[in-house]
Amino acid sequence: MRYGRGRLTMVKWLLDPYAAAGVYLLLVAFVLDRPGDSAGLSLACAIVPFQLILMTVLNSLSSVQSRRSIVVNLRFERALIPFSSAVAEAVGFVATLTLIVVMMIAYGVEPTAAVLWLPVLVATTFLVAVATAYPVALIGLWFPDTRPIMVSLTRAAFFLAPGVVALEQISDETSDWLRANPLTGLFEAFRSVFLYGHSPAAWQLLLPCAYALVTLALFVPLFRREGPQFAKLVE
Amino acid sequence: MPLNASIDVRGLGIQFHFDRQRRVLSPTLARIRRGGPAPWALRGIDLSVGPGEGVALVGRTGSGKTTLLRLLGGILAHDEGSLEVRGRVGTLLSPQAGLLGLLTGRENAELLGVLVGMTPRQARAAVEPIRQVSGLGESFELPVSSYSEGMRARLGFAVAAQQDLDLLLLDEVHEAMDHEFRAVVAERAEAVRAGGGIVVAAGHDHAVLATMCDRAVWMDSGGVSHDGDFHAVVDMYVSS
Repeated sequence: MRYGRGRLTMVKWLLDPYAAAGVYLLLVAFVLDRPGDSAGLSLACAIVPFQLILMTVLNSLSSVQSRRSIVVNLRFERALIPFSSAVAEAVGFVATLTLIVVMMIAYGVEPTAAVLWLPVLVATTFLVAVATAYPVALIGLWFPDTRPIMVSLTRAAFFLAPGVVALEQISDETSDWLRANPLTGLFEAFRSVFLYGHSPAAWQLLLPCAYALVTLALFVPLFRREGPQFAKLVE
Repeated sequence: MPLNASIDVRGLGIQFHFDRQRRVLSPTLARIRRGGPAPWALRGIDLSVGPGEGVALVGRTGSGKTTLLRLLGGILAHDEGSLEVRGRVGTLLSPQAGLLGLLTGRENAELLGVLVGMTPRQARAAVEPIRQVSGLGESFELPVSSYSEGMRARLGFAVAAQQDLDLLLLDEVHEAMDHEFRAVVAERAEAVRAGGGIVVAAGHDHAVLATMCDRAVWMDSGGVSHDGDFHAVVDMYVSS
């Protein structure tokens, strides 16, 4: 529904990621003329998964309030709410993947057999987005005043990961710390597949998955326990 | 008559926690954050309803009717006492009727069907009967944001009524309906009761409530003031 109805729906869906992230890419890759191989593609490999996380955070922050009419009228599994936020944003995420294709063409980077990892990358990114949605939805409901701060913190997480520059361009000591950020594994996994043309290292997928599973284990039960209170909070 | 529906409430209470800016807190948050007042919206409610009964909740605005309906519908959790509701519950408890404005009537019908436990296939199959019961005609294919409150109530009721119900909970929204559709609501309520189910309806239009209920509970300040024959209790309430 975000892109409306009618014949232009598909066009708007495809253009949306370029409007949201394309400017970054043009600025950093071409206007600033950053050094390094395929700087724009390297950046796209970070921006694409980050867009799903950021958009899921934005959606989740008000996910319970935006479903107020259902929350106060129906008994249903409240734990579906953050999941549906991530699913809604995943639709836009699929269109965002075309950014990588465009950058590969622009830099003349030929795809290798490693692109077969794409479904795994998409699934891992989606898992991280779903896991993030649960605590964020609760924070947005409990502390609505902090929503702008949450968005800023999410953007800060991008810069506390190798978003603008690849991990290999960062000193060893710093890069060890950056690996603790689940976004680091995601960004580097995309770079491994699309920029370097090889399979992602195990840690690049396992660390984000571990973050997601621990977060889900902690927050899904809490979210379900809080669910029967939501009708009080959204009134 | 199948004895499949019952409501048994003993010493029921629900508390609302507020912070110092008078915003509502969840109980979890209230434990870790210094708060303001914590009034009881309902306390000491005792209520038993058996198969085939129609119960009207009457009382002033703010007396606890909506909160009690939400507790019965499993939409809110109680903080003290016991609550046992047996049977499949259908609810129409808010003027928005659980509908999302951007979706059409058809899309809302499918979504709500899935949320109340139907499979996607069952929800799709239920759409046509819902369209017919709602009487919305071509408006069924338009976004719900273009609907009047009465049209929303029609669609919300048609979705709720489509389920195989044992308990039907209605909160004032049926009062937004036109006379033609009120007859549909009364007919469905009668069918639920005739099948051994229960109808609990809150509102201020006592003539409408009388078409669905033969018993009334007068709610006052979060408690039950009187409980008995519909006309006797309503007469007491009106003359109070």
